[in-house]
Amino acid sequence: MTTLLLQLLLNALALGAAYALIALGFVLVLNATSAVNFAQGDMVMAGGYVAIALAAVLPLPGIALLPVVAVLMAALGALLSLLAYFPLIGRPPVAVFISTIALGVMLEGSANAIFGAEPRAAPALVGAGAIELAGIHLPYQRLAIVALASLLILLQHLLFAKTQLGRRLRAVAQDREMARALGIAAAPLIAGTFALGTGLAGAAGLLLANEWFVTPTEGTNYILKAYIAVTIGGWGSVPGAVVGALLVALFEVGVSSALSYSVATALLYAAVLAILFFRPQGIFGEAAQARA
Amino acid sequence: MQRLVLACLLVLFSTAVRAQDVSIPVLVPLTGFLSLEGQSQRNGALLALRNPPPGITPRFEVADTGVSPEIAVNAFEKALGSRPLAVVASMLGTQMLAMMPLAAEAKVPLVTVSGTAKITEMGNPWVFRFFPGDAVVKTAQARYVIEELGKRRPAIVYQTTAYGQSGREHLDAMFRKLGAPPVFEEGIGVDVKDLLPVLAKVSASGADVLALQLHAPSTALLIRQAASMGLGIPIVAGSAIHQPSTAALLEPRELAGICAESAASPISGGSAALEAWIEEYRKEFQSEPDAYALAQYDGTMMVLREAAAGARTPEALARALSSARYEGLAMTYKSDGRGNMAHSAVILCYDGTSRVPQIVKRYDNIDGVL
Repeated sequence: MTTLLLQLLLNALALGAAYALIALGFVLVLNATSAVNFAQGDMVMAGGYVAIALAAVLPLPGIALLPVVAVLMAALGALLSLLAYFPLIGRPPVAVFISTIALGVMLEGSANAIFGAEPRAAPALVGAGAIELAGIHLPYQRLAIVALASLLILLQHLLFAKTQLGRRLRAVAQDREMARALGIAAAPLIAGTFALGTGLAGAAGLLLANEWFVTPTEGTNYILKAYIAVTIGGWGSVPGAVVGALLVALFEVGVSSALSYSVATALLYAAVLAILFFRPQGIFGEAAQARA
Repeated sequence: MQRLVLACLLVLFSTAVRAQDVSIPVLVPLTGFLSLEGQSQRNGALLALRNPPPGITPRFEVADTGVSPEIAVNAFEKALGSRPLAVVASMLGTQMLAMMPLAAEAKVPLVTVSGTAKITEMGNPWVFRFFPGDAVVKTAQARYVIEELGKRRPAIVYQTTAYGQSGREHLDAMFRKLGAPPVFEEGIGVDVKDLLPVLAKVSASGADVLALQLHAPSTALLIRQAASMGLGIPIVAGSAIHQPSTAALLEPRELAGICAESAASPISGGSAALEAWIEEYRKEFQSEPDAYALAQYDGTMMVLREAAAGARTPEALARALSSARYEGLAMTYKSDGRGNMAHSAVILCYDGTSRVPQIVKRYDNIDGVL
């Protein structure tokens, strides 16, 4: 029984770590622009396909492809800001909301046209196989997902907390007009935030697409998870996004083990409603300027 | 006078050409969770429409029906503008249910490979299903589990879609009929990633065999996780795993001992005609064919054959499809009076050394129609 519980915990951690990367990218853009990027889930899907396409020409393990995937996806994120955010500055937040949905639909259609509808698997991070520890089956891939996602979250934290670039990014996120008044060029930093958020989504895409496959329609599911995680953690809170994502995964795996998947889904949404009712600021409190 | 005769002949000739020219729109789900199967359905239809029998020239447009009934209905209403002889209609049961009243009103045959039992249980004479319905394939799946594997405590894991629930109902009923009621049943959504919880519950239930009714991604995920945890009981899956692109997601060792029901398994080989068809399919679509493609090919080809034989109106075609017998590549087709044209199924198994399954059991004429 204990073995099974530990096994379930590892699975939940691996899933939650990947969800955390998605939610983190989502919240970074939210903080920088006060707008909801609904293409974030489709960027995860795109990251998975970029990894698959790269693996076809560079047959390397996922860990070697990850930097390339992150950089390519970051470039796509910057492009996303140019197409779906900057032309709509000054319009109501719902305009960006709609434009990112439209871009997500275009990404889904493109993936379907280029790669086909069938599920695909990206290369494993460090190869197949598993270790047995006290009766617990520990697949390398899941351990690597937890380790790598933790490292990326730590690097992102260090970037924001310890570097001048990070301080400027935070300044723009907290008060764009004041940052401008202090001579900080907001536009490149906003584009950079989109790039960073999408790079994280791309990394999550690679991590998820090996163990859990990828299909062109996967994005909707991921954005829903990110949205719930950010709502639970605190709208705009960076640590809240990570904790919220882990809670979503633990809830999914835990409740479905004890009861059923249908009950887990129903209870997850009920929990979100309860949080919105009793603690609308989420666990860590709201950091964003406005809720979309 | 000579010119007048020539003009009359030209008019007659052009009329004859128009009469041979029939419209058969292809309305299938090319995006959404059923797009993999939908693309197979489209490919099968296209292969038939591009190679019609002599005397018939099909016109066809392909439309994506996505996964919502509204899109399917819109596509169908648009297709009516081409005055279709028949429509190759979505394999998604909910879309079929939405299109069926319109087809009855417009009097246009719907030719489909949808497995949802209900579409032929509503008394609609315009529906023709060329893929064995759940009443056939789930019977084969349950009989194989009980009669061939000798198992008595089955567990069922199914998708919470119409496809999954329809299959579950039939599996449950068949297991009970065979004296082995399921000891565990659970439905999972198409977005569920971690299947260890349900596998742990299957294991704890004391089940001695696991029957699946899942779409392709969930089937592959479950089989992988079952192999990883060492589930230790046989798995007899639904037809999703027979698709080459689904099996390609798994290592041969993960597939070892996995069996599944299907209408057919083209890549397992067969007659010379089937082998030739497989080659043609590979050349045309650069992919491996599956049972959906083969069934839709057979269904579309039967429509074309009947049209070439003189059934040039939707009413005449519906009459022909209701009464004729057709020797297709996958099996023999004949209506049971409710539009169920397919009555056979196969059980295929993977031996753990390759991703090409072997057909281990054939169940012909399960419902006694042929």
